[in-house]
Amino acid sequence: MLITKKTKLAEVIHQNYHLIPIITRFGINFGFGDKNVEQICEKYNIRQDFFLEIINAFNDEDYSPINKLQNLPLEITVNYLLKSHQYFNKVKLPHIENLISKLEWISAENKKNKSILNKFFIQYRKEVTEHTLHEENEVYPFIIEIEKNYNLLENNIDFSKLLENKSVIKYAETHDELNTSLLDLKNIIIKYLPPSDNIDITEQILNEIFDLEKDMKDHTDIENSVVIPVAIKMENELRKRFNLK
Amino acid sequence: MEKVSFIIAEKSFVIRTGLMKIINSFTETIILKEVTEYKTIIKYVNKLNPDFLIINLKFIEDAYDDIRKIFSENIKTKFIIFTGTKKSKEHFAYFDEQISVDDDKTTILKKIQVLISGIIPYGNEDNNELSEREKEVVKQIALGKTNKEIAEELFISVHTVITHRKNITGKLGIKTVSGLTVYAILNNIIEINEAS
Repeated sequence: MLITKKTKLAEVIHQNYHLIPIITRFGINFGFGDKNVEQICEKYNIRQDFFLEIINAFNDEDYSPINKLQNLPLEITVNYLLKSHQYFNKVKLPHIENLISKLEWISAENKKNKSILNKFFIQYRKEVTEHTLHEENEVYPFIIEIEKNYNLLENNIDFSKLLENKSVIKYAETHDELNTSLLDLKNIIIKYLPPSDNIDITEQILNEIFDLEKDMKDHTDIENSVVIPVAIKMENELRKRFNLK
Repeated sequence: MEKVSFIIAEKSFVIRTGLMKIINSFTETIILKEVTEYKTIIKYVNKLNPDFLIINLKFIEDAYDDIRKIFSENIKTKFIIFTGTKKSKEHFAYFDEQISVDDDKTTILKKIQVLISGIIPYGNEDNNELSEREKEVVKQIALGKTNKEIAEELFISVHTVITHRKNITGKLGIKTVSGLTVYAILNNIIEINEAS
């Protein structure tokens, strides 16, 4: 289904409940009544075109938001990415960590199973935090600066000097490491960890990991196919204006 | 696990989506590329070198010579043609399999299954047990050793260590050092207090 401004938000969730965290990430809270996307966006002061692109992209793998997102201000997309970082770090990862701590085994191996799984997850969480912090402190601010200067009519000498030693291209890295760790974690739990005494917790953990994986994939897709390429284009244009290489 | 790779060359979104759904319903397959312009078929087949190219017969009618050209140069890729309507058989001699729009689900699935088992024979995929040597390598990885250190410890080349690591990852579905360490502890290959 294609979600439009006239689609009722309640219907959106009935149709695909995986969109719940995306909707709440925009600061939208429940109790929407019969309000449609247009009305909700107005109420919460959200850019409707951007909201529709993100929600449709997440809803349907074949929906490609790239062209439309590339024409919107980068700052909007970057702000969204920042909110998903918060969601990963403050909501999703602590929740999974908490679930892992609830796993129990009757056997004597209990302590061992728990501590190695915990250790693996804490290490993974640390990697995610470091990666997102780096983006928040280094990558995103630089990209916002590029866009600001790109939109300036006059050349900013300070920024021109900055560009002599710095380029977005350096940040066009992949997120392979983080994805690989998640894949490992899934296989460890599905295939190798001895069956826990509380299967419901294991089930919840797996569901959470699959959710997180999809969310992160969409996140990196937006970074790799919208934010970085648009920033590179702007940077190249600025280099021309500044007569830099 | 090694995947059987496909390129799907089909202009129609509806048909392409259907073909992809069928191919993706097999766990041992991967679709490398969807091609919608016949001009780019040769480029992608040469670049990605898939096991199979599923191609709409209409593409071939548009560019029969071009397609023949890659067919003679590229020995690995096998051709599956998709036909919308019943056509004369003369073009068909150059292809390995044919899927027709009139085929029912079971027929198509069986055809694909046969093609896949031509690439990955049955029985081969069952042996996911680590060999003693591979267990030894897992142990060294879990102890925090580098490839070079492992090579020295086991009297093998770094290249062999890398090959072992690839095979281990293929068998276990675990790639990172932390993941392999968890595996090693769970399977008593190392003690928990030995882990790096």
